[in-house]
Amino acid sequence: MKNKINVYLIEYAINAILRQKSKSFFIVFVFTLLTFLLTSVFFITNSIRYELDSTVDTLPQIIVQKIKAGRHYDIDVDAVDNILEIAGVSDAVARVWGYYYFANAGVNFSVVGIEQYENQYKNSFDKIASKFDLSEIDSKVSMVVGHGVKETMHDSYYKEYFNFIKPDGTLKRVNIAGVFEADTQLESNDVIVMSKDTIREIFDIDESKATDIVVKVANPEEIPMVVSKIKLIYPDTRIISSEDLKVSYQNIFDYKSGIFLALFIISLFTFFIIIYDKSSGLSSEEKREIGILKAIGWRVDDVLKEKFYESFIISFFAYTLGVGFSFAYVYIFQAPILQNIFVGYSQLKTSFELPFIFDLQTLFLVFFLSVPIYIAATIIPSWKVATLEADEVIR
Amino acid sequence: MIELKNITKTYELNKNDKVVALDNVNLTINEGELVVLKGASGSGKSTILSLIAALSKPTSGEVIVDNKKISKLPDNFASVYRRDNIGFIFQKYNLIPTLSVKENIILPLVPLNPPANEIVEKLDRVAKMFNISHKKDAIVRNLSGGEQQRVAIARANVNDPKILIADEPTANLDEKLSLNFIEILRELKALNKTIVIATHDPLFFDLDFVDREIQVHNGKIIL
Ligand SMILES: Nc1ncnc2c1ncn2[C@@H]1O[C@H](COP(=O)(O)OP(=O)(O)OP(=O)(O)O)[C@@H](O)[C@H]1O
Ligand SMILES: [Mg+2]
Repeated sequence: MKNKINVYLIEYAINAILRQKSKSFFIVFVFTLLTFLLTSVFFITNSIRYELDSTVDTLPQIIVQKIKAGRHYDIDVDAVDNILEIAGVSDAVARVWGYYYFANAGVNFSVVGIEQYENQYKNSFDKIASKFDLSEIDSKVSMVVGHGVKETMHDSYYKEYFNFIKPDGTLKRVNIAGVFEADTQLESNDVIVMSKDTIREIFDIDESKATDIVVKVANPEEIPMVVSKIKLIYPDTRIISSEDLKVSYQNIFDYKSGIFLALFIISLFTFFIIIYDKSSGLSSEEKREIGILKAIGWRVDDVLKEKFYESFIISFFAYTLGVGFSFAYVYIFQAPILQNIFVGYSQLKTSFELPFIFDLQTLFLVFFLSVPIYIAATIIPSWKVATLEADEVIR
Repeated sequence: MIELKNITKTYELNKNDKVVALDNVNLTINEGELVVLKGASGSGKSTILSLIAALSKPTSGEVIVDNKKISKLPDNFASVYRRDNIGFIFQKYNLIPTLSVKENIILPLVPLNPPANEIVEKLDRVAKMFNISHKKDAIVRNLSGGEQQRVAIARANVNDPKILIADEPTANLDEKLSLNFIEILRELKALNKTIVIATHDPLFFDLDFVDREIQVHNGKIIL
């Protein structure tokens, strides 16, 4: 009987929460908001990190760009042959690509050229090469687009083809041959794949030039060695290895999450104001109530048990609510607003699917960051009052 | 039996200022006795009551109830002592205004976690006895002063304590309600409870069922 759960105490605790409606509501509101934001950030971060990791794995090992006075210029295609001669290099491909700004929708597309008899530097392009007849894409002047691109074009009523505006102001009509699938969404969402000839026309790139050269090295250990050799032959180039890219991807990502961090800190701040308010002392009614309970025979631990129930019920309720909202927000509604803060490397505002990653660790982390802190912030000041002489408190 | 032995109680207002609320008080109250403490405001009546109820501790001296040194009890044991032995009717009633009559009355039972039927039984007994049954579900804040006092009396009796303490029980009542309270007191006395009342209300003087009137003056008992 001693260990039986005291339902009257729980009833009293629930009653206490309901008695102070507006205060309880405020606490639940802020608490829910906090857990919601916190959980959402973790959920989104997890999903994006997952995407990012898979994306980085698909990046070229080495990219060679021509640089003049710090600016990127087209590189001579001839360089490919010289690079191929470097020991350790297993393949080198001249890429023709660019960012095309679609003013109508205010977004950038990444336009990438591939060729029929060329080894592809991305798995997803290999898939395109095997799925679509590249010679036909070439002759019919068509392209394969990512999901985001397709939707953006559809929104502007381009269903069959798209008109690119060339540097000289004339139009280039390119048919949409299909939509392609990639391993990761970040990689494919804003990408358009077409023949190199078509790209050359759209961006006005000469036959002898390419945007950059991607280099494959058989043994990843040798990447730094290959990088320094290319640098020797072509001092006027910038050479980016996948490691560098990983870092800069991470940077973009971290910078963006920084904006969010600010938002988060604000809500955290509010949370701590509540805690501060609570721990800085109880209201005179709250003190009196504890004093009365003591005076009619409640022990200190009866009072603290009641306060524990009270704070646990309210904080766990808010926690559950916050996590529930966050699940719905991130995975069902795909995190509107917040997603834009995190995603969109080429400012393509399109539907990026957050992969569902159920992460118990996140739930535990958020739980331990909120619920026990709140309970402690409730119990400690109550404990201070409860251990005072009852007579002092109710006088 | 309640014994106060050489009780002194001082309150420290600050480092240099002290109030001597009780000065070497000796007092014995027998079982079943009804004692009225009289005296001017500030004389020390409430202080005596709170010492008997173990709501505070003497600066020196001992409070002994049924041969137990109440004044030496650690806080948690003092709570249990109150719960098992004391029914305290406070001057300002000390009810929880936002709870219902019923919830207030059963409050002393809550930590005991008794079976539901026991709670109902005890509640019904005191609610009937002190004529508040019809308002069981009313919120205390909305009750009249007399009704609130009856709730306070019911709460003090819900555990059927041996000792009843009332501090200025008629201070907030009109004459009719005060006479009502005196009738209740007569009934409680008939139940053979030990009763200690602090008051300066003349209505309590020379009542036939009061065993003793004790004059408190400046922290001392005048016999
Ligand atoms: N917590 C306290 N802090 C400081 N002084 C106190 C405290 N409690 C009581 N006193 C003082 O002790 C003295 C006795 O107080 P007590 O309340 O016992 O008097 P009382 O006889 O009950 O008066 P009243 O008729 O006004 O209720 C008073 O001078 C009072 O100011
Ligand atoms: Mg008094």
